[in-house]
Amino acid sequence: MEALKSALDFSDFPRIDLLAAGSLAILFLIFPLFPHSSFAMATLIQFLMFSLYGMGWNTIGGYGGQVDLGKAQYVGIGAYTTAVMLIRWDIPFWFSMPVGVCFSVLWSFVLGYPLFRLKGHYFAIATIATSLVLKDLFEVWDFVGAARGLEISPIRFPPPDFLRLIFREDVYYYYVILGFFFVGIFYMNWFRKSRLGFQLRAIKDNEVMARSLGINVHWAKIKTYAIATAFVSMVGSFHTCYIRNIEPEDTMSLDISILIALMAMLGGAGSLWGPIIGAGILIPLKSYLKEWLGARAGIVGIDLILYAMIIMAISALEPRGIWGIVQRFRRRRR
Amino acid sequence: MALLELQRVTKKFGGLMANHDISFSVEKGELLGLIGPNGAGKTTLFNCISGAYPVTSGRIFFDGEDITDLKAHEVARRGLARTFQVYVASGDLTVIENVMVGCFMHTRSRNRARSQARDILRDLNIEDLSEALVHELPVASQKRVTMATAIASQPRLLLLDEVAAGLSHGEIEEIMGSIRHLHEDLDMTVMLIEHVMELVMKLSHRVIVLDYGEKIADGDPETISKDTRVIKAYLGEKYVREHGAG
Repeated sequence: MEALKSALDFSDFPRIDLLAAGSLAILFLIFPLFPHSSFAMATLIQFLMFSLYGMGWNTIGGYGGQVDLGKAQYVGIGAYTTAVMLIRWDIPFWFSMPVGVCFSVLWSFVLGYPLFRLKGHYFAIATIATSLVLKDLFEVWDFVGAARGLEISPIRFPPPDFLRLIFREDVYYYYVILGFFFVGIFYMNWFRKSRLGFQLRAIKDNEVMARSLGINVHWAKIKTYAIATAFVSMVGSFHTCYIRNIEPEDTMSLDISILIALMAMLGGAGSLWGPIIGAGILIPLKSYLKEWLGARAGIVGIDLILYAMIIMAISALEPRGIWGIVQRFRRRRR
Repeated sequence: MALLELQRVTKKFGGLMANHDISFSVEKGELLGLIGPNGAGKTTLFNCISGAYPVTSGRIFFDGEDITDLKAHEVARRGLARTFQVYVASGDLTVIENVMVGCFMHTRSRNRARSQARDILRDLNIEDLSEALVHELPVASQKRVTMATAIASQPRLLLLDEVAAGLSHGEIEEIMGSIRHLHEDLDMTVMLIEHVMELVMKLSHRVIVLDYGEKIADGDPETISKDTRVIKAYLGEKYVREHGAG
């Protein structure tokens, strides 16, 4: 009960933040009522998905300060669990999604135990490696379609089908992921104020001191890594139903892992709004850049150049991202 | 039964003997000073007791339980808290949040942690710093925050590592008042490492002296200050020969 109250309690934010967040939430809710292009709708769905990825990453990466660059493998596990269960055994999304989360979390424990013996850069590099190995395995594993991937045929599963989450129009997907998004925000609002949230911030600050306060540092990190994983896996399952065509390259590639971490860092790692701000900037930028520059002039990889520039800017100017700049500005005014 | 008991504790770093064959015990309610020249192995001993370092040999008992092989967080949960000489934190924790982390050892509830933390800060007279960022505070205040955080975990034994180093005279008086308050009003057993002799000699019931990793003296402050070996350790052999002991 106290947890629920805490999740719904945003009173430690200034009124202007709540006003902005509230009006944005209403805007999101009524957006489909206004005339819009399907491209804008697709971008918004991507934004919501990546916000959720970022929120998950933010638990271990932001509050815990462990730079995890291997989140894509859990997008893959979630996506493939849902796809395989649907195609092979006709098991619907709402059942396969939690199963995917279980697989992901189990895998995260297996990996997390040795991974968190590592620190700093070594940890980051190891997360990249594990994710890439899993991707390579999926590319040769026939049971999951190997490099060809899996396709959900609209003939076999005719839309609309809420149980299997198969729709013709994007607007249904939009509202489902928007629901996830709101739940995600409430969860994160609880998380940041929870005991684990505080312990993680203490760990990020100083591990030796955290231990002296009775915190089992290794276990706290593993637990949080599992929470991050659950977030990512859920959205991975959604990805399958939304895209209806998955392959290792577009669910588990390094690009996705980096993009997830980068968004949260750009917006502000370790803050509630950070990942959302980061996704709100990067996803539209990425979509529109691809659309305008990539497709027309044939310039590919412009988004990668952009990411590199953002990484440099963050590390040089403000490690706590855009939200860090806002906070610094506010502190100074007080 | 002694609250803390060390039996022949030895700690080696490669070829370096940091603590050699150290035995002593701390009774419940005692206020014990641990002194010695730089590099004598005082902080290493703290690290061994609190589980930050594994000992090379010997046993450590806390309230009758063998804690020698426990990890740092397990030792802490049994009621042994410590502070650190240097507060290294770059983070964004405010003073009250820092203290709350200590409170969270005994509660899951954020509200309870917050109200306990507020009480502790009020108790140590640093209430007004609640919302400040710890790493932006002056050293004297940081030391009190680390003390507050350690106290928040409700320890039975508190190890203080040079809480008065680098403080002005007035600040030392204040921190002495705080330590006395913890000991007398909150019934904490305290063991402190200190270079500021004024503080050690005024506060401690008993003083243990380390030199080159060995225990060279153990007694009340009066006796210790006249002990030849202690004077030798601090002032050198030559001084003792020329001036005589005591």
